[in-house]
This record gives sequence, structure tokens and C-alpha cells, in this order.
Amino acid sequence: MAFDIREIQTQLEAAPIVSPYSHDLALAILCDTFRLAKVRPPSRADWGAMEDKARSPLWREQVVMLAHVLVSSALRQETVQVLQQNDDATTLLQRFFQDVAPLTAEMIRSNTFRREEFIRKWVRVVGGKCTGESPKGSVARIEQLDYRKAEAEMRRAEEARKKEADKRQQALREAEQRATEARGWRE
Amino acid sequence: MAGVTNVLAADLRVAPRANIRRDTSSQRPHIPWAEAIAEGLTRFASLADEDAARADLDARLSGLRDALRDSPYHARRLHAAGLHPGDLQTLDDLRHLPFLDREALAANWDAVPTPPSDADECVVVKSSGSIGAPVNVVRDRRDCLHMWAVLRFLVTRVGAALPPHPRVVLLDALPGGLEYSVRLPILHDGALHRISVLREDALQRLRRVRPAVLFSDPEGLRWLAAQPGVPTPRLVLTSAQHLPAGLREELANAVPAPVLNYYATTETGPLAWECPRPEAPGRFHVLAPDVWLEPGLDEVVVTRLRPSVLPLLRYLPGDAGSVRRDACACGFHGWTLEHFGGRGACHFVTPSGREVDAWALAWVFKHHALRGFRLTQVDVSHFRLELAGASPSDVAPLRERLAGALRNLGWTQPSLDVCHVEVSALAAGTKPQPFRRLR
Repeated sequence: MAFDIREIQTQLEAAPIVSPYSHDLALAILCDTFRLAKVRPPSRADWGAMEDKARSPLWREQVVMLAHVLVSSALRQETVQVLQQNDDATTLLQRFFQDVAPLTAEMIRSNTFRREEFIRKWVRVVGGKCTGESPKGSVARIEQLDYRKAEAEMRRAEEARKKEADKRQQALREAEQRATEARGWRE
Repeated sequence: MAGVTNVLAADLRVAPRANIRRDTSSQRPHIPWAEAIAEGLTRFASLADEDAARADLDARLSGLRDALRDSPYHARRLHAAGLHPGDLQTLDDLRHLPFLDREALAANWDAVPTPPSDADECVVVKSSGSIGAPVNVVRDRRDCLHMWAVLRFLVTRVGAALPPHPRVVLLDALPGGLEYSVRLPILHDGALHRISVLREDALQRLRRVRPAVLFSDPEGLRWLAAQPGVPTPRLVLTSAQHLPAGLREELANAVPAPVLNYYATTETGPLAWECPRPEAPGRFHVLAPDVWLEPGLDEVVVTRLRPSVLPLLRYLPGDAGSVRRDACACGFHGWTLEHFGGRGACHFVTPSGREVDAWALAWVFKHHALRGFRLTQVDVSHFRLELAGASPSDVAPLRERLAGALRNLGWTQPSLDVCHVEVSALAAGTKPQPFRRLR
């Protein structure tokens, strides 16, 4: 079975924006998903340990959003099909939450790219394939979307810009002094 | 520097000093680029396969992604929305990205550009003060030369053949009266002459120059149509937004040359040209692959695909119009802008009964810091100027410059009332209407 990302996105666009599930209910939904695939779900202690390990204020909202996207689309059904009985639910979830660490619930709700990233990272972590894509293509798409990587790049670019800020201001000042006053395109 | 303004009569001195580049030989390294731009436009205008065209345009987004990353404003804006430049992989992705409107560009003019390098030879130009708040627009050298590259394409498009060393005239009806002549290596080693119709010897100069290409606005074209024995250029261009059929006819009788109307803004450069078929007026063919105008919307949304120091992502010039894929009877394949509603037309009437395009005065306002303005012709020689956010020290010079401009255009004794208003009092719909005439 392959995950149809476009179809899942369409289903999610039609679903309520805000997850109606509380944290506890979200945990129950995730546990049930594993149970349906005959995989032992994380225990309460495992969940606690996962939260401690994540040390992220976003972890709880990500759990709630994962439950929401699973229930509101074919993602849950496909996940159940793909999960293997010997999968370790806790390891798998830890890897997923690490992967989506910087994504907020708001981003997943309102931003089509972050929602796609969230879904694709889930598909990757459960070992699924995407409809109409080569494995290489799916990896490349996750690379394009990867917000954590992009954030690091943007931070680096911002630091470089700060270092160059004076030079930049100077260049713009000079450009302003060279200002032309005609209608623009003349030389 | 152009020294022309100091030979004018005192009344004509309404223009500030202008910088004219004289080191025109520095255009030469950009000639292969200009040829490539023209070839790209020609190829796209005959590309019937939409998928192929889109794939080519998608490939051009990679440069834009880099520019967005390097632009402090765009990087900040995208980050705030949980986006990053890598999200932009196809033209379809654009609809999920934020718009850039004119006010935001005005407020962040120095943060939108990528870091300018010495090689970019950037300048800052001011867009016209059509909403009273001129926008500083940073341009690199190729932005400044881009129109010449587009001109190569347009010349081919209308089937005109330019002579060696073509002379281009910019026939100017603006009240500044600025004139100059420079070499133009980038257009087949030609020359550019700016001629002001306000000068007594304008017709003689025009006859002497015998231009192969003539640019003007409707006011200049009207003047041209009324002159006896004007030389016939191979191509006449105007960026009138609305070129009245009557004026086209009038001009065709006096100057039997193809007239091409194009749509451009200072912020974006040229965007589209009006289909020359007389039965299809008001349809503007988009200048892809240099720019992308988003289809299916009811206003113009511009993304610049050509590399530039000023990355424009979903820029809103404030013009209404809708874009769709088109296979036009003129032979053009591509995207066409229809139902184009540019700036609101307004004509003032001089004491002699001549109609003057009020937008010729917009240029006066961009030299002053304002939040908004409206100039109303109340009576033949009586104007009311409403200003929002003008500093008191600016009012006297603005009044003087505007009165000078009106005198240059034919009002011998203009009377001008100036009053201060809130900017909200000037808002009238989405499109600024800074000029009006009470009838």
C-alpha cells in the first residue's frame, strides 16, 4: 500500500482546522492506531519518558496534531496497513517527533508545506511509500520541505547578513546617491 | 549630469537635477545578456505547449529561491509564516506564499533587495507618486537595461527592421522639460535622444534625429499627431495603460508606424504588451519568462523570474486584471492579461481648451514626502490640492513646483488652494485616484 499524499492533503483541507482532541485522547488515538496494526503501543511511562526526552514546549501540540491528521484522513488506515508487528512504537514515535521538532500546530494547520512535511515524515518513519513517487523522489521532496534544515540555513544567512549589515547600508546609501529621477529605465 | 535645465526659461525649471549615465560603453558587456533575454521572450511567445512552458518557468524559480534567502525582508517574512524559500518549487506553490504590496515595499525598500555588490552598480529610483507615497526602488544595472533587451524582442515581434546604429527618441511631455542625448551601445550601437515637447525647437530636433524607435506617453503622442512633416519611425512605443482608439487613429494618420502599447511599472519593469490586433484592444501579452503574472485572480500579481537585486515575490502593483493561458490570433502563445484596469484616467483642460493627461503631473509629487494627495481641477485655472502627511516645510516648494509644472503645460495663471486632510479622506476604492476634474 502506498500513501497518496495529495489525497490525504485534500482530506485534511476539508477537516476542521483545530484538533478537537485533548492530549489524553490524542495519546489514546495513537495507541489505538498501533493496536490496530497489532503493534504494542507505548505505555504511559513510555509516553512520559518521550515527553521528557523531547524537552520541547511543542511536543504536546504535535501529539495532538498527529492524532488529528491520522483520524481526519486516510493516513491512519494506511499506517495500520504498513506497520510491521515487530516495529517498536516508542522508537518510531521518538524518531518522528525528533524529525518534526520545530513544527508548531499552527504551522501544520495553516501551512500546506508544513502539513505536507509532517505527513511525509510520518510516512517515512512508518516505512511507507508515496503514490506515484520513486523512493529517491520522496527523499528529495522531504529534503526540499525540511523546515529544520531550512531554519538552520536561514539562521546562517541571517548571521551573514548581520556581519554584512554595515556594508549593505553603505552600498544602498551610495545607490541612493546615484538615484535617477526620470521614469526609470533610461540610462 | 544633464545640464539642460539651466538653459530653460525660469518657468520650466521644475525638475530636480537628473543623473544621466555617460559611461555608456559599460553597456557592452551586457549585450549578450540582452540578446539572451530577447531570445527567451521570443521562444516563449511561440511555445504552444503549456506544460513545457511551465516546466521551464519552474526551473527559473531556483534563482528566486536563493534571492529570497538573501533578502532580509523576504527571509523574515517567510520565517514568520512558517515558510522557507525551498517551499517554492513550482509556480503552483506561489499561491501559498505571502503577497508583497506597494506599501510594504515602500516601508522596506532597503530590506527587500539582496546584498548589493559593487558589480551590480545599483541605483535607487523613485516610482511615481501616484498614491502620494513614492517608493524607492533599488535596481541593478541589468534592471536599468532590461527595457532595451525587451525592445529588441518587441521590434522582432512587430516585424520592424532597425537600421544600423538606430536612433531612439524618448518624446517627453512631462513638465520638467528635461533633454539629453547619449550613446546606446546595447541597442545595435544606437543613440538615445530625449526631446521635450515643451521646447520650441522640439519638432526641428525630432526631424534632425529621424528616430527609428520613438517612446512617448499619450500626451507626447497627441503632440506628435498634430505636427506637420514628422519623420516616421519603424516603431512607436507607449506605456499608456489605456491608449484611446481615437488617439491611435489620429496618430496613424500622421505617423504610419506600428504603435505598441506596453504595461510597465517602475517597481517591476515591463510586464506585458498590448496585442496589436485592432479587434482585440486591452489584451496584454505577458513577458514570460522574465515575469510571471498569476492566472485566475482579479488583480495583477507579479513574481519576477529574471535575476535581480530586488526579488519581487507576488508583488501587487495595485492594478486590476485577470490572466489566462492564451493562443492569440496574433500568433502569440502564453499568458494574457485581460480586463486590465490600471490607474484611473483623468484629463485636465487648459484655458485654451486643450486636454492634458493629469498623470503628467504625478512626477512632481514624487519629490516630496507625503502620505497621500489629490489634485482637483475645480475650474479652468483653479486647482485644489489636498495633502495628507505633508511636512509644513515641504508645502511651499511643492506648491511652487506644481504651479511651475502647470504653467509649463499651458495654464498661464494657475491658482492653487492647498489644504491638509487625513489620509483616510483620500481613500477611494482599492485604486488610488489622485487626480480628478469637477465637471
